[in-house]
Amino acid sequence: MQVFITSPWVPPEFIGAHGLEPRGVWFAAEPSQLPLGAGICAFAQAMIRLAETRPESAFIFSTHCDQLRRGFDALTLTLPGRVFLFNLPATWQGRVGERIFGSELERLGSFLLKIGGYPPTAKALGESMARYRLARSRLIEAGADCSARQYGEALARFHWDGTVNLGGEAQHARADGIALALVGGPLPTWQMDLLDAIERARGRVVLNATEAGERSLGLASQPEADYTASHALPDLLQLLTRSCLERCVDVFQRPNTRLYLWLKERLAARGVRGILLWHFVGCDLWRAEAQSLREAFGLPVLLLAASEARSDALRQSTRIQAFVESLG
Amino acid sequence: MSAAPRKLTLDEWEGRYAELRRAGLQEASYGGPLGRHVLEERDLRLRHLRFDNSAAALGLWNFLLSENERLAQARTRGDKIVGAMKDLGTVPVMACALRGVRAFYPDGAWWTPCLMECSDGLLQQAETLGLDASFCPVRAMLAAFQNGEHFPRPDLLICSTGAVCDDFSAIAQRLEKLGFPIEWWEMPRRRAPEPHETSCALPGNLSAPQVQVECVRDELARLGKLLGDLAGQALDSAALAEGIRQANRVRRLLATLRHAVYGSPGVPLPALEMLIAEMLAIHFCSDREETIRVLTGLLAEVRERLELGQSVLDEDAVRVFWVNPVADLRAMNQLEDWGGRIAGSDYMFTHALDLIPEDLPPLEALARTALADPMVGSTLDRARRIVADCRAWRAEAVVVSRIPGASHCAQEGTLIRQLVREELGLPAIELEIPPICDALLPTLSSRIQALLETARAKRR
Repeated sequence: MQVFITSPWVPPEFIGAHGLEPRGVWFAAEPSQLPLGAGICAFAQAMIRLAETRPESAFIFSTHCDQLRRGFDALTLTLPGRVFLFNLPATWQGRVGERIFGSELERLGSFLLKIGGYPPTAKALGESMARYRLARSRLIEAGADCSARQYGEALARFHWDGTVNLGGEAQHARADGIALALVGGPLPTWQMDLLDAIERARGRVVLNATEAGERSLGLASQPEADYTASHALPDLLQLLTRSCLERCVDVFQRPNTRLYLWLKERLAARGVRGILLWHFVGCDLWRAEAQSLREAFGLPVLLLAASEARSDALRQSTRIQAFVESLG
Repeated sequence: MSAAPRKLTLDEWEGRYAELRRAGLQEASYGGPLGRHVLEERDLRLRHLRFDNSAAALGLWNFLLSENERLAQARTRGDKIVGAMKDLGTVPVMACALRGVRAFYPDGAWWTPCLMECSDGLLQQAETLGLDASFCPVRAMLAAFQNGEHFPRPDLLICSTGAVCDDFSAIAQRLEKLGFPIEWWEMPRRRAPEPHETSCALPGNLSAPQVQVECVRDELARLGKLLGDLAGQALDSAALAEGIRQANRVRRLLATLRHAVYGSPGVPLPALEMLIAEMLAIHFCSDREETIRVLTGLLAEVRERLELGQSVLDEDAVRVFWVNPVADLRAMNQLEDWGGRIAGSDYMFTHALDLIPEDLPPLEALARTALADPMVGSTLDRARRIVADCRAWRAEAVVVSRIPGASHCAQEGTLIRQLVREELGLPAIELEIPPICDALLPTLSSRIQALLETARAKRR
């Protein structure tokens, strides 16, 4: 059974160890959308629609976003037993976050068993964790050699099936473009035309810090335990909890200083000259960061709202072109 | 001093105030004619509101409108000021258990643009700080911190995070980046216990697994240590237990008041004063003892009116259950003008109205109460309580009032209305109230009157 995940911080390796197929939603086909109600986030609604149109699959929502959290509430009426809400702690400096995450993993395990998964062995979980860690490391290393589109799709595919598939030969990014960082919320494959539009405008995305982008991979240098060594299941679960929480770098965390530290290092190292802040309309968490990003990094920031209609694409391209031109 | 209950304009209150003074009105130190708040603090909105004509209501309004002034005086006296954010009812119980500590909600600044009819410029200033009109009006808080013209800068700022509104969380994060350090504490999203988990009963007929209660309790213990350090005295169990007992005095008074007003066929106190009275539960308007005095006065007034069979409104008014607080206080007056009355409310802090258990260790009791927050659990839990309260108070219609830009409003209304219709068959609408709703009055009037007419038709 496919188990869809709406946050990169819910560990797919845990789902895989239960014999189920974790599927990051960023690679899914775009669901047919209903007209948006006032204030409703298009991404949250897309996730609700995805769940409604995939009756054979299970869905894991997370609490990192208020609208997804409330989207889950709506689905519990129509899809009982097929949806799960994972409580992602917002704080990260104390022990409470770890305790919450650990108990949520335990609860998720029970849910996965109910929907047809089997109890994971320590061996299966250790191997699954090792496999995902290796894939993340390979993807981090591959980033510099790919075009933005190629890398974005590879990342989305990794979240879909855990593989590293760069789609054949490396399609190197143009060397003469203006170095940009794409920072923000979810960028599903159905919105990845954005990456082409940026390149057409002579921009070069050297940092994809969207939800399922490079930011979701964690730190390459992060020392981690050897998961395949003989560990008891509870030890592995504790390792997994710590690893997930250490890897988590996101806007919803409080304080969200880890996000800024993560960005600071990469923006400087990659010579970024401007930030494209990608957000869905109604996403307060990201939109509120625009000015803080400007102040923190002294870089120009352009807000890019996810298009609600294809007809918005031209307007978006024009905005990107003007932004890149102004940096040139 | 008694007069038949009715609503007065600000101008009419001048005469009424003189009459009360002549009759020997005794006022608190913050008392005085209502009009001074317009002259001295530019609370211009008062000119467009109508107020209950009792001395008790005058005391309520003066208490509310003098909060910033009282906080400044407390600071001068050397009291420590704690800014609690978002939890709406938990941290102030702890802070007020310590001598010389006062707590307030900077969130309350969301009403400043309404009260000052935007002459404060807070919303415009918030925009220059990066938060435009697409965010909840609580963004006014950001500007109020920055310009320091409204409330004193707190000695300690505490904000709950986790299962909270994204807009509020984002605004608070921006505040921290502007140089106002915040102590964040985790509020997990409340969930039902799994079969294998130990279940804890929460106020409001809710439950949560023990692990969540323990997490919140540990967070509150951490905050208790910080508050104790600030106050220079330990917040021990005995002090907190006493703080809870006092908080429950407030909550009992409010429960009695709500029961008397919402349960009555007549309307012994208008909607606007009831809204303000309920708000006192969350942080006692920075003065717990005075809150008890003000509520006691209101309750006495209500009881007297009930005994005399007096009502502010026609008994034919449609009984409306109201969900979420209004950004413009005037909306409460308007509902009554259009033929409705409030018969039940969920202004987003029902957990601050429920009694805190006194038979549990104090931190555990407070943790359970915090977890009963209607905004941290499922919208369905909230909707079920609304349905139960509608039944109890014989509501005939439900209004879900949207707060502009608030993330929880995007989806909750649909679920609440759906459950209300399915369980009770009551008409329900959703509408949005901005900080100044004057321009929308024709639309609001049409929508609310249609709702009230539908409810009236069902009587037949």
